[in-house]
Amino acid sequence: MASNEQTPVLEVKGLQTSFFTPDGEVKAVDGVDFSVNSNETLGIVGESGSGKSITSLSVMRLIQHPGKIVGGTIELSGEDLLKKSKQQFAKYRGNRLSMIFQEPMTSLNPVFTVGSQIAEAVRIHKKLDKKAAWQEAVNMLKLVGIPAPEDRAKRYPHELSGGMRQRVMIAIALSCDPELLIADEPTTALDVTIQAQILELIKELQEKSGMAVLMITHDLGVIAETADKVVVMYAGEVVEQADVKTLFKQPLHPYTQGLMNAIPRHDIDLDELEMIPGTVPTPQNMPSGCRFAERCPYARDLCVEKHPELATPSNNVDEAVTTGQTRCWIYTDEWDGPNPTKGVATNQ
Amino acid sequence: MHIFILRRLLQLIPVLFGVTLVAFLIIQLVPGDVAQVMAGEAASQAQLDQMRENLGLNDPLIVQYGRFLGDLVMFDLGESVRTGQPVMDIIAPRFIITVELALWGMVVAVSVGLFFGILSATYRNTIRDYGTMTLAVVGLSMPNFWLGLLLIYWFSIQLGVLPTSGWGTWQQVIMPAITMGTAGAAVIARMTRSSMLEVIDQDYVRTARAKGVSERLVVYKHAFRNALIPVVTVIGLQFGYFLSGAVLTENVFAINGLGRLVVDAISQRDFPVVQGAVIVLAITFVFVNFLVDIAYRVLNKRIDLN
Amino acid sequence: MTTPLFEAKNLQKYFPVKGGILNRTQAQVKAVDDVSFAINPGETLSIVGESGCGKSTTGRAILRLDDPTDGEILFEGQNLMELSKSDLRQKRKEMQIIFQDPYASLNPRQKVKQILDEAMAIQGVVSKAKRPERIRELMEVVGLRPEQAERYPFQFSGGQRQRIGIARALSVDPKLIVCDEAVSALDVSTQAQVLNLLKKLQKDLDLTYLFISHDLGVVRHISDRVIVMYLGKIVEIADKKDLFDSPRHPYTRALLSAIPIPDPSKSRERIVLQGDVPSPMNPPAGCRFHTRCPFATDICKTEEPELRSTTFMNETHKAACHHIEKIAETEKTSIV
Repeated sequence: MASNEQTPVLEVKGLQTSFFTPDGEVKAVDGVDFSVNSNETLGIVGESGSGKSITSLSVMRLIQHPGKIVGGTIELSGEDLLKKSKQQFAKYRGNRLSMIFQEPMTSLNPVFTVGSQIAEAVRIHKKLDKKAAWQEAVNMLKLVGIPAPEDRAKRYPHELSGGMRQRVMIAIALSCDPELLIADEPTTALDVTIQAQILELIKELQEKSGMAVLMITHDLGVIAETADKVVVMYAGEVVEQADVKTLFKQPLHPYTQGLMNAIPRHDIDLDELEMIPGTVPTPQNMPSGCRFAERCPYARDLCVEKHPELATPSNNVDEAVTTGQTRCWIYTDEWDGPNPTKGVATNQ
Repeated sequence: MHIFILRRLLQLIPVLFGVTLVAFLIIQLVPGDVAQVMAGEAASQAQLDQMRENLGLNDPLIVQYGRFLGDLVMFDLGESVRTGQPVMDIIAPRFIITVELALWGMVVAVSVGLFFGILSATYRNTIRDYGTMTLAVVGLSMPNFWLGLLLIYWFSIQLGVLPTSGWGTWQQVIMPAITMGTAGAAVIARMTRSSMLEVIDQDYVRTARAKGVSERLVVYKHAFRNALIPVVTVIGLQFGYFLSGAVLTENVFAINGLGRLVVDAISQRDFPVVQGAVIVLAITFVFVNFLVDIAYRVLNKRIDLN
Repeated sequence: MTTPLFEAKNLQKYFPVKGGILNRTQAQVKAVDDVSFAINPGETLSIVGESGCGKSTTGRAILRLDDPTDGEILFEGQNLMELSKSDLRQKRKEMQIIFQDPYASLNPRQKVKQILDEAMAIQGVVSKAKRPERIRELMEVVGLRPEQAERYPFQFSGGQRQRIGIARALSVDPKLIVCDEAVSALDVSTQAQVLNLLKKLQKDLDLTYLFISHDLGVVRHISDRVIVMYLGKIVEIADKKDLFDSPRHPYTRALLSAIPIPDPSKSRERIVLQGDVPSPMNPPAGCRFHTRCPFATDICKTEEPELRSTTFMNETHKAACHHIEKIAETEKTSIV
């Protein structure tokens, strides 16, 4: 594909973010790589404790004390964001890259009108005067599909519904035409019919502006509907990475497979949900081998002893699905014997 | 908003009733006889009876209270039993001085308290935070008359730059204001700190950062505006304490405020003056609370004004 | 016909809205408005809907955790509305509830065994001597190790805490369990564990569930019959298969079409509803859904539709819509 040659809008390499607690260092994100091109949506999926939200906050450099980015690079169109001073980076934040959050109910400041909260972003980055910025805020509200935008701009957040507030958040995020939008569980707190509206809106705005979108979610349904490429995270690491069709057709990592078979579906009947036994390991007791080994039905001594790398599968896999990468011994040459996951059908 | 103010005003009525009733009853209950005080030690029983009759002290309590309220509405607080002057005339100039003193104390308490509270919160768990909070504990625990005496010792006696007593010139304001305001500043600083810390982790503060708002504006605009909401209540309460606590400061600096007046009146058993002062202070307190309530609603957009 | 274990008739729950200078009741939030349904022994009946539709309020009202404003609630034929508080407490051992956040409902200072012991002691279902044995049994039933009963709630993960919530509900041997968003706070992998557990327990212990959830995937997995609520009203009720395969109410259809399917190869027509749910304080006249309904006509604005069935629907399948036939017709033509 030609897109391989263009500079990605966002390229994250070896990202490590830790929290320094009284009990010691907690590695919340431990060596994460991914990239997103313009006009493309990368989905990051994982359960709680996977490090997906910390990853997104790291990209925005919004990690607060006692957290700290301790390694790796984050490049926005080739510029290393971690090398910028605080003041330099403030010019990028909300301007070239911006973010929307999970909780629209609490993400807007309750004591300012929504119009002024949009206008603030515009004034900071576009250096417009008060009146022009307000006009721009009204335009943005219109763009995100809020009826009677002149009137709504003067409202306080508590006067709007959850769906409307998330639209306002999107308006703030997109007011300066960013190259990258990070959406961290943008619809998790919303009802399904409202979720459909918001996802549709993000897609529509992406088509207009060509921005890259980083969609962070725990919901594989949202991933399937919005993402072009997917990164699956588990216990602070990427365990699988593929384009969306390949991932859903042929998930490689046993965790990804388990996840897909654990979702109750509204479109088909399932006799029993597959269970992933146990729970995510806590950062304090992180296994030294494969982090999924203790929950994995196929784990061998090799898995418990040695930590696998994220790599293009070279063993036990069809030619057709070698576009992605996975972090599992089964797909390496060190695994002797057949693929034990073969014949494990996924839900479709 | 209008409905809210109106409703609050209506709620003031029973409170004011209660306040006046308590003030009225306190005087009835304290040992000591007004008639005796007015008529003097040497008065005969007949003179005393006559005096009681004239003062209406023989009427049932409820009648006396009714008369008391009627007078109160006309701003008539009776006459001093010592000098015969109307109580209102005695209290008014003293009250103004005390209010001035309390206001200057507030200026110190609010400016110092907010400054150190924010400082402490923004540098949480650093040496600046610990230093400030230690100072706050000291400020809170130090009796203010003692602080007043220390200030007099340093600035008036040792350095000789400020007058030891009196009220009126700006030099005379400085030390009493610091004396009054220190404990309040400590309370406000601690409240501001905890309120700021609560707010600084809120999602909307993160949103402000994500927009590219500078850290200074994040703290002073986005966080502080929200953190202020509970602090306003504390500030209002402080003002009430200042009015009632002015007596110590007034005595240390020999300021002729309401507090000293009350102390003098009590020792002279001049009950109408005591009563009048209590009522004036109580009504001021209630009124300040009313203003604080309104300020709270104005700041806090989330509360449904109805 | 089986006799239902539980029946709600014309259930209403209104919340007063106060205001004005004298703080009088100025309006009513009609959270649940004239809702009737029955639950048969051994089945799982689900209530789905979006926030504010009244599903959780219904769940609380039928247990009289919040007293209903009006209506009848019959448990094994007995009207619970007529029971005194103490008789009702007795009845509670037959009907238990599991909440979304078990942590909030577990006393943090009690060990799990104390929590379970207390639940049994209150209802007096198991003699004191037999309780330790019963606690061990309960722990095993919900898939925890008996020795974990010595721990405190905070020492468990979210999924394990939900198991404790289930154990507590089971401790008094109930017939009916109301599951109020019981798996909503859990990650998919743990959610699957708890859902499978609930299914197994139902089979083993002959339980009846009223399952309240906003997640239609979960509902399809666990239910026998499904109720869809919108703004305090039932808009559709049907056997699971009918509801998911041939939804009749336009709201149900929109709801189903709005859920993302975890399969990118499946594409389908999505009905995106415009706007937000109106305020339950002032619900639209006529059909409450007409403000967002693509099929609405004049009659929908004035006349409230009854729950009804038609010739091409199973008789257990009912929808509250004036235009069931017309919508079915357009569907046929669009497929051809």
